[in-house]
Amino acid sequence: MSNDHDGTTRPDDAQVVVELSGVHKEFGDAKALDGVDLRIRAGEAVAVMGPSGCGKSTLLNMVAGLDRPTSGTVRVQGQDLGQLNESGLALFRRRHVGMIFQFFNLIDDLPALDNVALAAQLTGTSAKQARRRALELLDELGVAHRKDVYPATLSGGERQRVAVARALMNRPALLLADEPTGALDSRSGEQVMDLLIDLNQIGQTLLIVTHDPNLATRCASRLVEVADGRVARERMLETQS
Amino acid sequence: MNGGAVWRASRGAVKRRRVQTIVIGLVVFCSTATVLLALAVISAARAPFDTAFEAEHGAHVTAGFDPARASAEQLAATAHRPGVEAAAGPFDQTVVTIPTDWIGHAPGPLTLTGRPDPAAAPVDRVTVLAGRWATAPGEVVVATPGGAAERFLGSSIITNTGLKLTVVGFATDMSQSSGGWVTPEQMAALHPTARQMLYRFTDADTEQQLTASLGAATEGLPQDAVASAQSYLVLKQAFSAGADAYLPLMTVFGVLGLIVAALIVGNVVSGAVVSGYRHIGVLKSIGFTPRQVVTVYLTMVSVPAVVGTVLGTAAGWVAAYPILETAFTGISTGTAVIEPAGWLPVATLLGVPLLVALAALVPASRAHRFSAAQAISAGSAPRTGRGLKVQRWLSGTRLPRAVSLGLGQPFARPARTALTMAAITLGVVTVTVTTGVTGTLAKSFVPPDRNTHIDVLTAKFAEKKIEPRLTPEQTEAMLHATPGAERVSVRGLVRVGLVGQPQLVFANFYGGDDMVDHQRLRVVEGRPATGLGEIEAGPAFLDQHGVKLGDRLTLVLDGRQTTVTIVGKELQGNANAISSNAATRALLTPDPHVVEYDVRLAQGTDAAAYQKAITDADPSLTPSIVAPSTEGSVVAIQSFSTTFTVLLSVVAALGVFNTLLLTIRERRRDLGMLKAIGMTPRQVVAMTITSVAWQGVLSGIIGIPLGILTHRLIIEHVRIIAFTEGMIDVWGAPLLAALALAGVAIAVLGALVPARSAARLPIAEVLHNE
Repeated sequence: MSNDHDGTTRPDDAQVVVELSGVHKEFGDAKALDGVDLRIRAGEAVAVMGPSGCGKSTLLNMVAGLDRPTSGTVRVQGQDLGQLNESGLALFRRRHVGMIFQFFNLIDDLPALDNVALAAQLTGTSAKQARRRALELLDELGVAHRKDVYPATLSGGERQRVAVARALMNRPALLLADEPTGALDSRSGEQVMDLLIDLNQIGQTLLIVTHDPNLATRCASRLVEVADGRVARERMLETQS
Repeated sequence: MNGGAVWRASRGAVKRRRVQTIVIGLVVFCSTATVLLALAVISAARAPFDTAFEAEHGAHVTAGFDPARASAEQLAATAHRPGVEAAAGPFDQTVVTIPTDWIGHAPGPLTLTGRPDPAAAPVDRVTVLAGRWATAPGEVVVATPGGAAERFLGSSIITNTGLKLTVVGFATDMSQSSGGWVTPEQMAALHPTARQMLYRFTDADTEQQLTASLGAATEGLPQDAVASAQSYLVLKQAFSAGADAYLPLMTVFGVLGLIVAALIVGNVVSGAVVSGYRHIGVLKSIGFTPRQVVTVYLTMVSVPAVVGTVLGTAAGWVAAYPILETAFTGISTGTAVIEPAGWLPVATLLGVPLLVALAALVPASRAHRFSAAQAISAGSAPRTGRGLKVQRWLSGTRLPRAVSLGLGQPFARPARTALTMAAITLGVVTVTVTTGVTGTLAKSFVPPDRNTHIDVLTAKFAEKKIEPRLTPEQTEAMLHATPGAERVSVRGLVRVGLVGQPQLVFANFYGGDDMVDHQRLRVVEGRPATGLGEIEAGPAFLDQHGVKLGDRLTLVLDGRQTTVTIVGKELQGNANAISSNAATRALLTPDPHVVEYDVRLAQGTDAAAYQKAITDADPSLTPSIVAPSTEGSVVAIQSFSTTFTVLLSVVAALGVFNTLLLTIRERRRDLGMLKAIGMTPRQVVAMTITSVAWQGVLSGIIGIPLGILTHRLIIEHVRIIAFTEGMIDVWGAPLLAALALAGVAIAVLGALVPARSAARLPIAEVLHNE
């Protein structure tokens, strides 16, 4: 067991999936991140909370390899993301990271099944195999009956389930969620929360950025509070599932 | 809400869409310049002749009569025959020979006409450019097609019979009725050999009408009284002959330019409006009326369009002068003024912005109809129902996913895709036409052999001030005897008169080993003029002198004349030049008038050593090693084709560029998402390029046959070169395969920059801005 700076403890033996060391990010004169250190171990569900503009989305982008730090290192699955070029980052995201967003970001021109299959097809998986796996995922998430429907005609909750299925398509080590319930009504939000809890329970590592304390406390085992670009506080949570 | 707000909103829109604004400006600039150039040549080819011809009361037919068969009284009576609107004459004529250089002219014959001052004549009011009309014996007015040489006024011309004529004036007439004019009294002393009548007929629109009218006017005259008849339609044709080489090309490129411009401008402008629907919704929601919204969008596209039009008009206008000068070089323009017509810039300055406004009006009026909520949602709501089946099918194929996504993308915006494809297709047509024209020209001017040739100019022709050591016969023998010579061809050049026609023509007389093999000769119809009394000429000569194979002409030189038969049509040639052989020349003059020798060297001969041996033998000779070259008109056609191809291809590529820019702007979120789930930059580029590359392939399939047809149309209308079927058919499988790539090349060229920008889209920014 190790002690974190807030005095909470957690198992030491699990593999470190995410490791941020002294990460700074500046946009012109504005400091979005100001020396962030963070470790996430395999199987953890970590929620990042903080006021608007505190840097939590920037932190998520760093972990996803969508943005690069001004200084400091970001390691995911042992890979220093600063050493990767754009193509390398794309391959990294494809293999190790799944992402879900507040506004789903599904491709409007593709039906649900093809949206999900797309992530695997980019890796060279055949259309047939990709669709088979996509259908399994949609089935597990309870939206298989909507596989041929285009995003415009899915409900918000259904869209987010499809987005989760897409994120899980390549069996990522890390699932990143940016305000996953922010655009949903309370019932759909609850469904998505349950889904995230279930995923974590079967070993999926989660990093959730949210404003919603309910989401954080229900889905995460650890809460990281960010303020002014720094980790202000970390504490372990008791999951409510 | 006032005009200031509308202007501020428009200005903001222009600033926000810098790239789009530049694209609209560039497309309009290129298109305007192309259209103005094409129209300049088309209008210059015809209108100036008509204007000048009517101002001079030009002769529809200039007829020459044999004085032994028709008296002056009989000819005067023809002026009153039915169908004759007006007539002048009869005027006596003769051909004198000037043995030395005179007023910048080479020695040779000069057709003189005895005519009183024509200022108020009913027909052919010759324009005196400098000096005055001849009023006394011993005075002459010299015809000059170009500008008058005032410094030569008062100088003298002395004929080979010793007659001295003082130049008192320079004049020109569109009817080209004579080489010079003297008083009728002077002419009487010169023993005239022909009588001239100048007619205007009531029916003079076609050659058939002219022939019928002349027939009616000369009815009752003895047979063969009419020695020659020159139609104004032939002169009109001659006037634009140089331009005729370019006209079909310019017309086609002009029309293509117009269509491409309309398509691209329509695409660019409608794209700007469609991509601005959300902006339109916002404007409406804050109180802009529908009319004001339309005004904002029309202003937004009008700013770059007006700038592009003004700059394109200026560039086209500046470029038109040298192009017209090239097109009309060597043409007797008389009093006609060759310059771009004044209405052209007015037409482009008004027409092009109007075209742009019309292109913008359709989508802008859609914006007019939309409610604010509809407009906002049209700009942000997910698209549904467009090309989805195709995309679905593509997602199930074995193609790499980036490729199948790219293939399906254009189906989401079918109208935009259609416009882009049309532009690429026209680009392919242009490239095909240019390739065809270049191929035909290359086939037409294949040298007769692969040997190295030595072109040897005589001192006179090379304007060297060294006395020749050898006579022409000795030179020919020396060239033969010098090691390495295989064949030696000799060219004599002299200006000869044609009975009944005032202009002199250049007669090339070939001798030596083999005139047929001479590089410049290629008979495409009939046979080479190797026999006594035979000549051959290019299509321009036949066209402009109104003669055909089998016709007979009488050549006049140094007081001797001989009748020759046209037996061959050369591939091309000067409109005022004929070719014949040394034996025929001997009928006119014993002087071979040698200007040039052509030596074909045996394979492996040291050309430089041969060249030196010639100079050593006679320093007055100028030998040069001949590289196969093409004629000036060919080079000009190729230059025009290349210029227009580059212009239109750039415009088409800009169309693709703009389409992709709009598509990428609309699909920023999708692109961000694809990158977020692991699409590599290379896959993004592949997807983006694929989305237009297949349109390029399809455009090739449509554009190549259209280009082949257009090429044939153009080639068949180039009157100064007589292409054979073998020369027109240049389409081999490898060439067609290469052309098929033209559409892809245009598409990829236009797609590269947008594709790279798509690959560089900042994912985090895109996804979080949604």
